[in-house]
Amino acid sequence: MAFDLSAIGSQFLVGLSRSMILFIVTAGLSFVLGVLRVPNVAHGSLYMIGAFSAFSITKLVPGPAGFWLALVMAPLVVAAVSFIAERALFCHLYQREHLMLLLFTFALSLILGDLVKLTWGAEYKSIMAPKLFDGSVHIFGASIPRYNFFLLIIGPLVAVGLWLFTNKTRLGKIARAAAVDREMVGAVGINVSWVFAFAFVLGCFMAGLGGALMAPTISITLGMDHNIIIEGFLIVTIGGLGNMWGAMVGSLIFGLSQAFGVLFWPQFAIVFPYTAVVIVLLLRPTGILKSVW
Amino acid sequence: MSKSRFSGMVLFGLVVTLSLMMLPALSEARDIKVGIVDTYSGPPAVYGNDALNGFKLALEEINKQGVLGGKIEFTTRDEKFKVDVALAMAKELVMRENVDLLVGTINSGASLAISDGVAKAEKVPFIVWTAKDEKITGELGHRYVFSTAENTAMAGKAGGVGLAKKPYKKYWIAGDDYAYGHAIADAAWRNLKALKPDVEKIGESWWKIGEPDLVPYLTSISAAKPDAVIFCTGGASMTNCLKALKATGFAAKIPSWIHTAIDHAVLKPLGAEAPEGVTGTIQYLFYYPETPENKAFVQAFEKAYGNPPGFPAFNAYITAQLIAEAYKKAGKIDKEKFIDAIEGLKVKGPTGSMVEMRACDHQAVYPMYFGTTKKHPQQDFVIATDILTLSGNEVMPTCDEVMKTRKK
Repeated sequence: MAFDLSAIGSQFLVGLSRSMILFIVTAGLSFVLGVLRVPNVAHGSLYMIGAFSAFSITKLVPGPAGFWLALVMAPLVVAAVSFIAERALFCHLYQREHLMLLLFTFALSLILGDLVKLTWGAEYKSIMAPKLFDGSVHIFGASIPRYNFFLLIIGPLVAVGLWLFTNKTRLGKIARAAAVDREMVGAVGINVSWVFAFAFVLGCFMAGLGGALMAPTISITLGMDHNIIIEGFLIVTIGGLGNMWGAMVGSLIFGLSQAFGVLFWPQFAIVFPYTAVVIVLLLRPTGILKSVW
Repeated sequence: MSKSRFSGMVLFGLVVTLSLMMLPALSEARDIKVGIVDTYSGPPAVYGNDALNGFKLALEEINKQGVLGGKIEFTTRDEKFKVDVALAMAKELVMRENVDLLVGTINSGASLAISDGVAKAEKVPFIVWTAKDEKITGELGHRYVFSTAENTAMAGKAGGVGLAKKPYKKYWIAGDDYAYGHAIADAAWRNLKALKPDVEKIGESWWKIGEPDLVPYLTSISAAKPDAVIFCTGGASMTNCLKALKATGFAAKIPSWIHTAIDHAVLKPLGAEAPEGVTGTIQYLFYYPETPENKAFVQAFEKAYGNPPGFPAFNAYITAQLIAEAYKKAGKIDKEKFIDAIEGLKVKGPTGSMVEMRACDHQAVYPMYFGTTKKHPQQDFVIATDILTLSGNEVMPTCDEVMKTRKK
């Protein structure tokens, strides 16, 4: 089958925009993994809560204003939920072994899943992007839905913002230092417990942001948590555990291999991203970029 | 103790035991117990609850007069969309609750498991009311299983018949990569090809069930430039698919058919965001046909539950009607007599058209509606327009075709 360049270009852009959502969610997951050493299975649930919160906010405030408000408020709702979870539960468990934490966060994801059902019900929800995003953008003959184009811009902005925060601010530097050696950070007189709380909330905020950004393009439904968390862990693993740029590289591999798989071999598109994961792990078992573990 | 006195006591004991055993038969009429196994938690609960509401509404009418001097009562079990749970609950309903018949579920796997493990094994009638796997009354059908749901064979045939009336030649097929998606695709393509041999399939794409982002799939399909696309998707993926069809501008460029795309439960939450120009099929629409019967049904349903009935409510309503009429015809509460009575039974469904429980394969026969989405002139959501009614016989595989699959 022959493809013109514009089809390949469109597919590339669409794959990139998918990668950006994956990046925003997995950067948070990776951050929590790196700083707190917690493999947070409930990260997917927080992503789901972000999407559901966005739905409620757009219902309270109709029109485009509601959408923009949702993009800001929904991640904050998720941050609040995660802050409560951190202070009440996680902060007592950091010293436990990984298997224990894995089980704990898995249990938490089930509980959060049920809470979402109690709060919002089992029906599918859907929200609309503002009129501004109707139609497509054309770049060099390739076309991409406007909303996907918007995601293409947001992704790098978030990446740069996160990088500036972790590298240029005092709090970010402390968080990174705590990731490398938490005893040492404590020894120089920093309250590690609050640093951890902050890092956890920031990571979860990213999950909420991802959920809110994704919300207009999908049906908001129970079960979206498990879909994203499996992909999320794969991406974090191939990128390098705890490495933010690793999350970016992993997301690009995952998103683009999926998009091109769909174009070139649509019957078997599902296997492409997973095949890419297997190849990466065979060649570099610790991930492409340096793992902080 | 003298011998005669002893035998007198034995005789007395015998009489008491016998009369106790005879009691149910001699006693006045009793209630008919229906055991419902369906999903009442998780995303499919929307359909489970809609079906239950339809069933309850029908029973309200039916129980006013009663059936065989008693009432129809029911008890529900939540199978949580799990096959093993459904099977255990169906067994429990039969063994411990002594239900007269089983009804349910939305889960095809669970329906097939109950059909084989309980209905056939324990000789208890089981009416499937939402699950759409054609094997239920097709290849794996038997005396004790019935279906009031439309199935993938009917849906595919309806799609094939509807699409054959359109001028498209080059088709692309895409959908959820699981049993339902492939069954619809096979049935639609088989029927379309039979009715219009010059159609050509230029490609297929399959995504994993629940895939959130279908934009890459749509951009790649539109690059192949088909005349029309057959999408085989359902549940949450359906909403994702419709949103992506609108966002990419796909719906405006390339016509597509998606079974149940015109389902109000799918279109309502999308509001104005649903794409126009997508063709779909369904067996029930609350706004079509505009018969007095349908209007009255919708009004009663909305008054009771606050929202209009969907297709599961329709399926469940006719299930209740068929159950009541079959018992009246059978004249007594007996499982075998019930089956003999329900075979070939006809009832007037809530839209006013006749519904028949086909005797040969135990599949309910009713018309299907083939329509195209368009924005409602007053309301902020999309509805089906240009509706074509395909008669029950037009969309049903023939008895011969079904029996052939069973012999294999």
